[in-house]
Amino acid sequence: MNLDRLRKRVRHYIDQQQYQSALFWADKIASLSHEDPQDIYWLAQCLFLTSQYHRASHALRSRKLDKLYGACQYLAARCHYAAKEYQQALDILDMEEPASKKLLDKSVKEDNGIREASKEWEVSPTSINSSICLLRGKIYDAMDNRPLATSSYKEALKLDVYCFEAFDLLTSHHMLTAQEEKEFLDSLPISQQCTEEEEELLRFLFETKLKKYNKPSEMVIPEMAHGLQDNLDVVVSRAERHYYNCDFKMCYSLTSTVMVKDPFHANCLPVHIGTLVELGKANELFYLSHRLVDLYPTNPVSWFAVGCYYLMVGHKNEHARRYLSKATTLERTYGPAWIAYGHSFAVESEHDQAMAAYFTAAQLMRGCHLPMLYIGLEYGLTNNSKLAERFFSQALSIAPEDPFVIHEVAVVAFQNGDWKTAERLFLDAMEKIKAIGNEVTVDKWEPLLNNLGHVCRKLKKYEQALEYHRQALVLIPQHASTYSAIGYVHSLMGDFESAIDYFHTALGLKRDDTFSVTMLGHCIEMYIGETDAYIGTDIKDKVRKTISTPALMKMLNSSSDNDDSRAQPLEESGIMALETPPNSNKPPNTLQRFLLECDMHESDMMLGTSLSDTST
Amino acid sequence: MAATCSSDFGDLVQIKKQLITIISQCRDRGLVHSVKWASELAFALDPLPLNELPPPQELTEEDAQDLDALCLAKSYFDLKEYDRAAYFLRGCRSQKAYFLYMYSRYLSGEKKKDDETVDSLGPLEKGQVRNEALRELRVELSKKHSAGELDGFSLYLYGVVLRKLDLLKEAVDVFVAATHALPLHWGAWLELCNLVTNTEMLKSLSLPDCWVRDFFMAHMYTELQMIKEALQKYQSLMEAGFSKSTYIISQIAVAYHNIRDIDQALALFNELREQDPFRIENMDTFSNLLYVRSMKPELSYLAHNLVEIDKYRVETCCVIGNYYSLRSQHEKAALYFQRALKLNPRCLGAWTLMGHEYMEMKNTSAAIQAYRHAIEVNKRDYRAWYGLGQTYEILKMPFYSLYYYRKAHQLRPNDSRMLVALGECYEKLSQQVEAKKCYWRAYSVGDVERMALLKLAKLHEQLNESDDAAQCYIIYIQDIFSCGELLEHAEVSTALRYLGQYYFKSKLYDEASLCAQRCCDYNDAREEGKALLRQISAVREQGEASSTDLSLPCVFNPLSNNTTPVRRVSPLDLSSVTP
Repeated sequence: MNLDRLRKRVRHYIDQQQYQSALFWADKIASLSHEDPQDIYWLAQCLFLTSQYHRASHALRSRKLDKLYGACQYLAARCHYAAKEYQQALDILDMEEPASKKLLDKSVKEDNGIREASKEWEVSPTSINSSICLLRGKIYDAMDNRPLATSSYKEALKLDVYCFEAFDLLTSHHMLTAQEEKEFLDSLPISQQCTEEEEELLRFLFETKLKKYNKPSEMVIPEMAHGLQDNLDVVVSRAERHYYNCDFKMCYSLTSTVMVKDPFHANCLPVHIGTLVELGKANELFYLSHRLVDLYPTNPVSWFAVGCYYLMVGHKNEHARRYLSKATTLERTYGPAWIAYGHSFAVESEHDQAMAAYFTAAQLMRGCHLPMLYIGLEYGLTNNSKLAERFFSQALSIAPEDPFVIHEVAVVAFQNGDWKTAERLFLDAMEKIKAIGNEVTVDKWEPLLNNLGHVCRKLKKYEQALEYHRQALVLIPQHASTYSAIGYVHSLMGDFESAIDYFHTALGLKRDDTFSVTMLGHCIEMYIGETDAYIGTDIKDKVRKTISTPALMKMLNSSSDNDDSRAQPLEESGIMALETPPNSNKPPNTLQRFLLECDMHESDMMLGTSLSDTST
Repeated sequence: MAATCSSDFGDLVQIKKQLITIISQCRDRGLVHSVKWASELAFALDPLPLNELPPPQELTEEDAQDLDALCLAKSYFDLKEYDRAAYFLRGCRSQKAYFLYMYSRYLSGEKKKDDETVDSLGPLEKGQVRNEALRELRVELSKKHSAGELDGFSLYLYGVVLRKLDLLKEAVDVFVAATHALPLHWGAWLELCNLVTNTEMLKSLSLPDCWVRDFFMAHMYTELQMIKEALQKYQSLMEAGFSKSTYIISQIAVAYHNIRDIDQALALFNELREQDPFRIENMDTFSNLLYVRSMKPELSYLAHNLVEIDKYRVETCCVIGNYYSLRSQHEKAALYFQRALKLNPRCLGAWTLMGHEYMEMKNTSAAIQAYRHAIEVNKRDYRAWYGLGQTYEILKMPFYSLYYYRKAHQLRPNDSRMLVALGECYEKLSQQVEAKKCYWRAYSVGDVERMALLKLAKLHEQLNESDDAAQCYIIYIQDIFSCGELLEHAEVSTALRYLGQYYFKSKLYDEASLCAQRCCDYNDAREEGKALLRQISAVREQGEASSTDLSLPCVFNPLSNNTTPVRRVSPLDLSSVTP
């Protein structure tokens, strides 16, 4: 009996996904060859592929193969993992503690028996070990043991630098901070395991997957990666860059080309959903999420899309929460859904519940600063600036160069009345943004410009304040609060006429703005007090000459008197104008701040979706 | 350039050629209003012989490539399917295609906005309906602009987008650039015209030296209420060879309307209607004049005539609105103004007139809204500012109304109505000094309503400045009598009554009795007059010789015989009155 021919047939059937046939023949081979370990292994493999996990595990373990051969050990554990019996899977992996310890300690030197066996089986021992480490990491992950999972993934990757899954799990679940990611990538023995060409390729591909949202920057594709520019993964990564730089239009055009080529590109979906939310394309998101739910009901991304849709259309937060929680139950570690879940509370000003969700996200995504940022924001909104500051500084320690965080820290400083620091930080954030382009052109940054305006006003640099507000107006025209801010600055400069003009414009856009209403009334009074009764002196003089009646004399007298008397109140009124704002405008001003933060918050909220580049 | 400018006018053939070129250029790009303007001017000039006609535009390689797409898109554009037009122009690279691409996107946004406005709300509650395309367009155009890739038409579009976004400062710069790039495109000039708020600003602009500039300046002067200059400009344009242009005639008529030279304006409008009987433009202005003159039959004729021509035009609706307003059917009038605004929400006149109607109906908040819209459309509309002042006066917010009156006054510094209104406001705020100044000023710039002096006198009276009050009354009476018309008897009688009392108190019995006698001419003051006369005779009977006066002021001569022309009070006479 030529068993080899039959063995080949089994492999062939496996390749053809005809698992039942493969199973049948593998079973027969195993019996014919008197339970050759390798044939048992293939039998188990077939059982695994037909989802008969316990049979597979039993086939291996009853013959104690899992203790002799790494591959069998891996498969047995894999079976229990697939059956969601994590502890058992771990037990199998840990059974040979000394051997695996050894493996981990010195990855090159191996146990003799296993080596021989592995060689026979045409699988390199390192790749098995790497697979074991990966599986171990996944088990730990499933058991919510984040630190061990992380170290296991790292181990797997060190053993086999091509092991993308481990890398992907590390990055997409935000287990490392940007700094750690970088260091880890540098520490990988890439040069030992691959050729020079491949090394560069590997480096480039991995780097595109690294964190993109901790600081705005451009992406450069190296020369050697020609042909990869149009690779969908690379395009998606470019889109993500644009997303983070808040160039949603560009991002949208990239992601939509990807979606045309591959309608459900897993990596692209989160970014695409994010841009759809940003650009307010509710209809498209609706259609997309419907299709996703129909086709991939078990993928959290589908429900995440639905949740985003409800979050976006507004007043449907209850629905949004329902679907987002569905996404999180499908995959507990799906961070973006948690963040969006938090947002659904945040927009309703349910600060505590929002924070709870953010905290979960923070635990899940240790290397991501956004949950911290949001928690800080929520604390800021509940007037707890001390705690807010703490969380911001945590966020800052993870992502020291994110302008969003810097901006929020500056806002806290502003609230504490520390204008100088606030100004410095705002300018700092501005610098970071300008690093990508020479000019701020993205309307996401309108609040930053406005806040700079506010700070400059507080520091009495009125001209500068006006300039900043004007720039803000260019980014987002017809914004009522910008107009009232400009009006306010003008009123402080004593230019009541312009102030009145701007307050009018602001009120035209937003009729019930109490700040503008009170300031308008105030300014009109000041303005009337300060101006002449009418315009044009030339004719008055002429009149004086023609009719020099005593009545006119009287008139002249009164007007000169009046000039004196007018000068006095003007002075006073000027002081009053400068004095009153701090008192009378404190509440509206804080209100304004509040609004700005809301703006900022919303903008961040959308950013939250950007980190949802989880694929599995 | 100044030389070429003036010599250009001599060379009408050249101008005509330029006009023909620009007409075809604008037509290709769907800029219908500029086409109309240029065509009207071209029509006013003599036709060119065949060999003088300008050749059609030369095409570049890019133009040739885009020709089909452009043709297709233009047909969609003309059918108002803007999105479709834009879609087919996406990849085109020629300037013309790019302009049409952006322009159709812009118009698509505008159309959607307008549809939204009409669908959901009345025009009064405009709310937050916006053209969503504007921001994207701005970003894209600004990128191109900073790269210097925009031609004259695209610059114009960029300016329009900026203006719609209320980025006026930037818009002005862009429009100026547009006029430099393409001086013959009237649309850019017109937009610029809307943005210039005062003379200083006008002077600071560096405009291209072209014959179009003269048209612009004339238009600008009309808008800025510098009517004399405007008329001069138009006169010189007429002399330069555009005498047949209906555009110029209508502009001159509008100018006369602005300085309230109603007869002239009416005459010109009638001439205009003869030359261009189916014209609807500017007819709303014409109807305003008829309204002011209360010429009911003429207004009715005009309204019916326009309805026959096109009843769904903004101007027609305004004329009908005016007609109803004149007949005191204010609800109907408001209805028609509303219809006008549905047709074109940026129609200035309709907003203002609607405000007036709401004022008549005592619906202040609606009136305020309407006036505000008018100001939004054109900040130089003094009637709207004045109307706002009035409404706030009704709402008892004197500070606000003072501000608005001031705005109106700034726009028309020599209009006594604003000054009187200002005075009244100051009076309400108990700032009598300012009020007095305003009234006096109103009188000295030529009081239309003849109210200023009276108010001034009353103010003096209140302040117990009897001499001044008397003074004012004297001038007032002189004024009234000198104009020969018999208006406001009651007020004359109050003046006389006061003067009688005043002279009596100053022991000038002759004058006092004179006044008292005149008082008896008026029903409401008769009793008081008689009483005063009795008092005087009683005092005189006591036989006082001490009060005999040396000089008897001749102020009252005119009172005794009001048929003779009045002599102005000489300073000497008046000085005798003061203590």
